[in-house]
Amino acid sequence: MKKLKFFSLLLAASMLTLASWAQSADEIIAKHIEAIGGADNWKKVNSIRQEATLSVQGMDIPVIVTLVHNKGSKQEFTVMGMTGYTIITNEGGWSFNPMMGQSKPEPMTSDDLKYGKDQLDAQGEFLNYKEKGHSVESLGKEDIDGTECFKIKLTRKSGTESVFFIDPKTYYPIRISSKVVANGQEVESIVNLSNYQKLPEGIVVPFTMENSQMPAPITMTKIVINAPIDESIFKVGQ
Amino acid sequence: MNTIKLLCTGLILFVSMFSQAQSDVNSSTFGTLEARVLGPGTMSGRISAIEGVNSDNGKTLYVGTAGGGVWKTTNAGASFKPIFDKYCQSIGAIAIDQKNPKVIYVGTGESNMRNSVSIGDGFYKSTDAGSNWVKIGGLDSTEHIAKVVIDPSNSSTVYVAAPGPLWSDSKHRGLYKSTDAGKTFEKILYISEKAGCADLVIDPNNPSTLYASTWEFRRTPYSFSSGGPGSAVWKSTDGGKTWKELTNGLPAKPIGRTALAIAPSAPNNLIAIVEAKQTGLYITADGGESWKSQSASLNVVSRPFYFSTLVIDPKDPKRVYRPAYSFAYSSDGGYSFAEASGEGGWVHSDHHALWINPNNTNQLYLGTDGGVYLSLDRGATWMFVQNLPVGQFYHVDHDMNDPYRVFGGLQDNGSWVAPSSTPGGVSNGDWKAIYGGDGFWVTPDPTDPNIVYAESQGGDVNRVDLRSVKSVGVRPLQTSGDEKLRWNWNTPIVIGKANPKNLYTGAQYLYRSKDQGRNWTKISPDLTTNDKKKQEQENSGGLSADNTSAENHTTIFTIAESPLDENAIWVGTDDGNLQVSTDGGATWNNTSTAIAATGIPSQTWVSSIQPSHFNKQVVYATFDNHMYGDHATYAAKSEDGGKTWKAFKSKEFSGFAHKIIEDPINKNLLFIGTEMGLFASLNGGSDWFRMKNNIPWYALVRDLKIHPRTNDLIIATHGRGILIVDDISAMRNLSTEILSKEIHLFETGEIELSTGRFGDGGFPSTGGWVSPNAPSLKPFEYYLKDRILSGTIKLEIYDEAGKLVQSVPGTNRKGINRVTWSQRMMPPKTATGATKPDNGGAIAPQVLPGNYTLKLKVGSKELTQNFKMVHPEKSSFTLAERKAQFASAMELYELHQQLATIVAGISSKQKEYRLPVDSLKNKKNQKLGNEYLTALETLRAELIPTKQTSIFADESRLREDITQVYLAICFNEAGPSNLQLESIKNLKQRVVAAETKAKQLNDQYEEKVKASVTKEKK
Repeated sequence: MKKLKFFSLLLAASMLTLASWAQSADEIIAKHIEAIGGADNWKKVNSIRQEATLSVQGMDIPVIVTLVHNKGSKQEFTVMGMTGYTIITNEGGWSFNPMMGQSKPEPMTSDDLKYGKDQLDAQGEFLNYKEKGHSVESLGKEDIDGTECFKIKLTRKSGTESVFFIDPKTYYPIRISSKVVANGQEVESIVNLSNYQKLPEGIVVPFTMENSQMPAPITMTKIVINAPIDESIFKVGQ
Repeated sequence: MNTIKLLCTGLILFVSMFSQAQSDVNSSTFGTLEARVLGPGTMSGRISAIEGVNSDNGKTLYVGTAGGGVWKTTNAGASFKPIFDKYCQSIGAIAIDQKNPKVIYVGTGESNMRNSVSIGDGFYKSTDAGSNWVKIGGLDSTEHIAKVVIDPSNSSTVYVAAPGPLWSDSKHRGLYKSTDAGKTFEKILYISEKAGCADLVIDPNNPSTLYASTWEFRRTPYSFSSGGPGSAVWKSTDGGKTWKELTNGLPAKPIGRTALAIAPSAPNNLIAIVEAKQTGLYITADGGESWKSQSASLNVVSRPFYFSTLVIDPKDPKRVYRPAYSFAYSSDGGYSFAEASGEGGWVHSDHHALWINPNNTNQLYLGTDGGVYLSLDRGATWMFVQNLPVGQFYHVDHDMNDPYRVFGGLQDNGSWVAPSSTPGGVSNGDWKAIYGGDGFWVTPDPTDPNIVYAESQGGDVNRVDLRSVKSVGVRPLQTSGDEKLRWNWNTPIVIGKANPKNLYTGAQYLYRSKDQGRNWTKISPDLTTNDKKKQEQENSGGLSADNTSAENHTTIFTIAESPLDENAIWVGTDDGNLQVSTDGGATWNNTSTAIAATGIPSQTWVSSIQPSHFNKQVVYATFDNHMYGDHATYAAKSEDGGKTWKAFKSKEFSGFAHKIIEDPINKNLLFIGTEMGLFASLNGGSDWFRMKNNIPWYALVRDLKIHPRTNDLIIATHGRGILIVDDISAMRNLSTEILSKEIHLFETGEIELSTGRFGDGGFPSTGGWVSPNAPSLKPFEYYLKDRILSGTIKLEIYDEAGKLVQSVPGTNRKGINRVTWSQRMMPPKTATGATKPDNGGAIAPQVLPGNYTLKLKVGSKELTQNFKMVHPEKSSFTLAERKAQFASAMELYELHQQLATIVAGISSKQKEYRLPVDSLKNKKNQKLGNEYLTALETLRAELIPTKQTSIFADESRLREDITQVYLAICFNEAGPSNLQLESIKNLKQRVVAAETKAKQLNDQYEEKVKASVTKEKK
């Protein structure tokens, strides 16, 4: 069970990073969007395919995350030759973890699905956030490991909340803290972002992410924007 | 002009460059050195406020503590999280806006006015259920807040009852009202600079009706007074604009502290416990117009200044709760009281908070001096909430056991010992009580691991045998010619740093024993001011006599023997004397005048003394003047044996100072613990920064120790238990030169090979507080000037032959980073395609002792360092055994890889021929093809699991058989057994057989099948 949880958190984290773009108090958000490549470039993003590796003391766990803007996402991970996945679409969410002896995908809980669906926005949540029904609030500044960051709270249309800590030099988020509610209990999920790189499309994304729940950081090996994606991969059982 | 200007600019530049270098060092520089919270939860600590969300049926509660901030549970106490760690830790009152329960107010500064009570720094609000806080309202100088009340009909109206400062006159007291949800406050009931507002209740049906009690009170270091002309009971019917004093039927003035409660279901009914010459409980049924005397049982009348909680059941106006010395309840409106039954176990005495779930009034949460309790039967029996580590330690010490043990004494919770690390982590059950009463100094005897010296309040010094926890009272006694002995509430018990056979304690005279307290020698005259005006404790308390030794004064408060010379002894008193003897106590020299010359007020408590480890003339001390209403941080250093002193100054400082220590290795590394934080200096006290390393920023830091073997900083907090920052050597080693570098890789030196300090005892702990252990493996350490936001960070380990052994992802934080390598190689590639995972592919053999190279790669930069892995000499696991273990593990490692190749070969053939065979039209040929594929599958199914779909059904094949032996050998700190070696031989044969079989099948079938496929294609 522990393992299952770990993987779903890992995948949620990997989704969150690429998908959650934007900032708060409109000025900071504007600067942030500019810093990560500008609204025009992000508006062109229809799909993202990330290949990544989670390396645990030499054991590499390959992870592939495929996201089609506002349609669906699939996150696959392979441990010792066995591949599991999580699929989230507007219709529902499923996870399949053969390492846990599952023989078929199982539906996600409505709590998990709520957070999952939030992350189908491939163009970043801060882009046109008002039109999307989200709201933002500046919570001032907070020291994150020695960096005095802007602290922007994003409250999504779905009701979920994340706080973005934005480096004032680069306007890149270095941490996203989300309160995840499951069974009425709040769990804080923290994702640290680093290793920002510019893609040929002109957008800037973090290539390394770490989460307190994960045993090691996850590092992107390849990110492809707007590659043709066969949406049948979001069909359960594929 | 121009030259001068230029010079000035140059000077400013120089100065700013210099201060830049200094300000580069702060808590985040050492961010990875996070404290672990040893706790415990077993005795918890004083709780000052409990409030629950009414609409949440008793699941969401906020618990305010005397010195540990605010804790929140969303599951009725199954788990708690601290939510106030960046702010003042002394909590007076909490209020939840029940109409919008995301709005929470916290008034800081506990109002249970005992001698050790801390102070607050104002009023805070959260609008997101405790995630974020802002200080509002301008109440920063009230110091103590007893109650926060929100108008139930209008959330914008908020009342704050502030008794105000305890140790001084102040205008910052009384009843405050806000009509803008706390942004601004107006004082609506003010008596005098001596009397504040102690309690407030609001009529829920008619919220412009308020009842308040005012209270005149004062402490000095040597007395307490409760009661006076400013104490009264008041009523307003116009939201606090005008007030009428209520007297009809109440005791004649002067009165002391009055606790009030209203019956929410019948709000004309109130009760009051009025401290007076004849303290008792009074009731009114007409909104306070007339009062009638009721019970004056023990719990009603005991210590009104300390027990001010009184609650009426939300639904039943006759059900009255009086949590006080013990828990009492009345079913007849306060006429008679019963006590909680002992069934279910002891409930800690001294109660200060009670919350009743209004939807289920059987459910009660009680806050005591020893934590939170839950009752589901209206207070008849109680369950202890064991996961709140908010103990209030006064002192901490350690021994030299391995792992070392931690000793400490707590407010109202006695003296305890626990291991600093133990299998499974340090849990509540690992703590052992060794002495009763309030606990203070607990000092293990370095010459005898079974002996510890502990005490209860007022100098009750004992020698405790840890094997039996039996104690022998060893308190020195008055002899002829002595004045009556005056023992501080918190009497020092100190072992000599130069000569560990010296045991010291002090009343107004200093005593030394060289035989574990069996015989004492008085080695000083009265070292205090012996000011008789400060010795009238029998008259202390005010209206209620209260003389518990808490106000004992003109006493010795701290003792220190120089680590360099047992004849150099320092003694500090609670009335401002800092005395030194250089001849083992024969003569004494009072340095107080020299200290006063630095601007530190005379009369301050000398709260700690640290003679230097490096120079006999150097000494550090802290001074605490808060009992005269002065909260400044006073710390000073003398370099000439106390003749002259220099005070440390820093804008970072907050809170009166309790303790200063000097690192025994680096004389420039100093720490100061105050009532509001822990501060460190790396440059001998010129600059200071606040330590935030998983330490509440304003923690009440009472005592500090550095363990000489592990280099751990051990912190005694008065509200968050014991905290340990494991191995602070990085703080010692961070030179200015390193600070100026972009990246610095610290010397690793030798790393002892280990599979971890402890084994795994099975299930994780259930409930209670569990502290993680000290890290078992030595990490690599590097310094980054700035957080790295672009580029990856990797640590690669190479063996002597230059082969990559392992690659570990690095962290990117500003300051010191610590990355731990498992001391293992890369795991083998194991056979894939099975229906279950196999741990063999996740585990690698531990490396052998030898020389290795570390490459730290930060983006395009690379730093290289050689280091050594060494076999631990003391281990029962010999080097020969280790080598044999490694050799066997590597044989199995190779078997895994061989098997992986065989299975991959089979799978590849299956993949290659499956479709073509299925497509064959010639049935005979197809049959042959299927025979081939079936044979391959049969073989594959012998090598890896192909059937299992449940994790609860073991399907063990050759791969699993290899793993079973492989894991055992990899994890054992032992050489391989005879049968393990035998088994490796057998596994080798099976792998060879599998290889042969696969080859044989391919030889037998492949050409034929390939031919038929090719033929049909043509």
